[in-house]
Amino acid sequence: MRPGPWICAFYLAAVAVFIFLPIVVLVEFSFQDGLIPVPPFKGFSLRWYAALFADRKLLDGLWNSLLVAVLSSLVATALGLLAAYGLARRRPRFAGAIQYFLMAPITVSYLIVGMGLLIGFNALGFGKSLLAVGIGHVVINLPLAFAIVYSQLGEHQANIERAAHDLGASDLQALLLVTVPMLWPALLAAFFISATLSWDEFVIAFLLTRFDVTLPVVIWNMLRSGLSPKLNAVGTLVFGVSIMLVFAVEFLLSRARRKNG
Amino acid sequence: MADPLVWLTGVTKHYDAVVAVADVDLEIAHGEFVVLLGPSGSGKTTLLSVLGGFTQPSAGRILIDGRDVTALPPARRPTATVFQDYALFPHMSVAGNVAFGLRMRRRPRAEARRRAEEMLRLVGLEGYGGRGVHELSGGQRQRVALARALAVEPKLLLLDEPLGALDLALRRQMQEELVRIQKRLGTTFVHVTHDQEEAMSVADRIIVLNQGRIEDMGPPARVYLKPASLFAATFMGESNLFEAMVRERSGAEIRVESPLGAITLPGSAAPGERVTLCIRPEQFRLAAADEHDALRFGRARLTQISFQGSYLRCRAVVEGTPPLELLMRLPIGAAAEAAIEVGAMVDVAVCHGDIVALPA
Repeated sequence: MRPGPWICAFYLAAVAVFIFLPIVVLVEFSFQDGLIPVPPFKGFSLRWYAALFADRKLLDGLWNSLLVAVLSSLVATALGLLAAYGLARRRPRFAGAIQYFLMAPITVSYLIVGMGLLIGFNALGFGKSLLAVGIGHVVINLPLAFAIVYSQLGEHQANIERAAHDLGASDLQALLLVTVPMLWPALLAAFFISATLSWDEFVIAFLLTRFDVTLPVVIWNMLRSGLSPKLNAVGTLVFGVSIMLVFAVEFLLSRARRKNG
Repeated sequence: MADPLVWLTGVTKHYDAVVAVADVDLEIAHGEFVVLLGPSGSGKTTLLSVLGGFTQPSAGRILIDGRDVTALPPARRPTATVFQDYALFPHMSVAGNVAFGLRMRRRPRAEARRRAEEMLRLVGLEGYGGRGVHELSGGQRQRVALARALAVEPKLLLLDEPLGALDLALRRQMQEELVRIQKRLGTTFVHVTHDQEEAMSVADRIIVLNQGRIEDMGPPARVYLKPASLFAATFMGESNLFEAMVRERSGAEIRVESPLGAITLPGSAAPGERVTLCIRPEQFRLAAADEHDALRFGRARLTQISFQGSYLRCRAVVEGTPPLELLMRLPIGAAAEAAIEVGAMVDVAVCHGDIVALPA
């Protein structure tokens, strides 16, 4: 028997509350006009946002996070593009095995990736740094970037690239003037998904940084000294940026589907 | 053929155990419009791809304009291809597409633009340069693909089933236009199709391919009326086929024993060989009493008549043991005179010279 419409509506509402209530509370109490982010709500204030933007450590963390997110995503997308292009167009021997190999890191937890890099970097004498975190984020994001780009490299595109070669384009010219512009939406989507995941990634960032830390690590440090509406304000900011990135991805992917569909 | 543009010797392509092109020798003259005709899997597309440089042959050599291009990539061959799905650059304007090849050749921007406009005018798309590729209809995209390939002034233009996606009326129109453009530029065209009507309407020479081999090649009328093989005969259109046995040969004529009786016709098969006699449906005539070189079939009963516009497509049976079934195309005028209808008896004849004896 199918459940009635009221039960369905109730169930849907319960799921929505379960998922969104914590976020709503987080955002609401970032505007708390008081010292602790718990009910009752004492009135609307932006003082915690002011405090946030006056906090040197937080701003440094914000800047570091942005830097790592943008640069690691650029690298992951570029490498993903090259891997996908090589695999789809050159059809090397063992292409299937190479594809699984490229996708493998996606099955490994961030903790293991972080620990592996930590141990590996130690052995190489390569210190904890933002660069190390950036490399870690390339490791976790490369499989995604590769998969997104690879899925868009169909036979139709291959023919268009063939046409470019036929008209005298070199490999590099065909890649830059024809393939990349055709894959633009997929490349942007890969970039933004990578940036979203890098932006609030904690475990790897925690393991591979010491002095220059990213925003999630700053927040974790602040949490150790107790709750404050300032933390809510930071959380709201992080959440807001993530939401914008996700919308960007959705928009670009739907455009790519329309174009190819 | 003196100094051909394209010269293929022993070109073979196999994929593992599958032979796509088998030991093809071929010469193509300057300014010729050649059609590679065959069913899917006949190797026609592979052969085109070998000419364009997209497929490396397993064996054989390819010379274009006196230069060995066997090992050269597409970019360094004097060829350009019009792809089946057009393969236009979706992110560029029409003019950007047409000028792409010139851009790759580092021609000055102004010259490239002028040339692109000239090419668009040639294909009837003057003033479309600023449009996006997505705004065009299928026929217009086809023209852009043609203009883009011609803009680089190829010595050899390769067309891979370029009209396959168009509807019939548009296809006819584009066929005429292809011929017009080809004659005007004098560029050598190699055109792949599986449509024998399209092949006949555009080609200077048809090359019939089957299982990677050349079955027949020649001017459309010759290939249609005097096919060199049974495959070419059946692929080029409908025909009436009769088994026969060669009795004797004298010069360029053979005498065969067949269900049509003992007849003499042009041929070179040796006595004792089996041959298949081929008669095109439009070669039958309602017999007039005074023709002396005609082979008379006697009286045939019409069993089926269908109106096809310019002719009647008829099936008829000549009584006898065994009875002969005939497929005929009768011109409307002649049919009206004879007042034919299903069940009527007609006298049927065919010229001896029109019967073709093919290796069985």
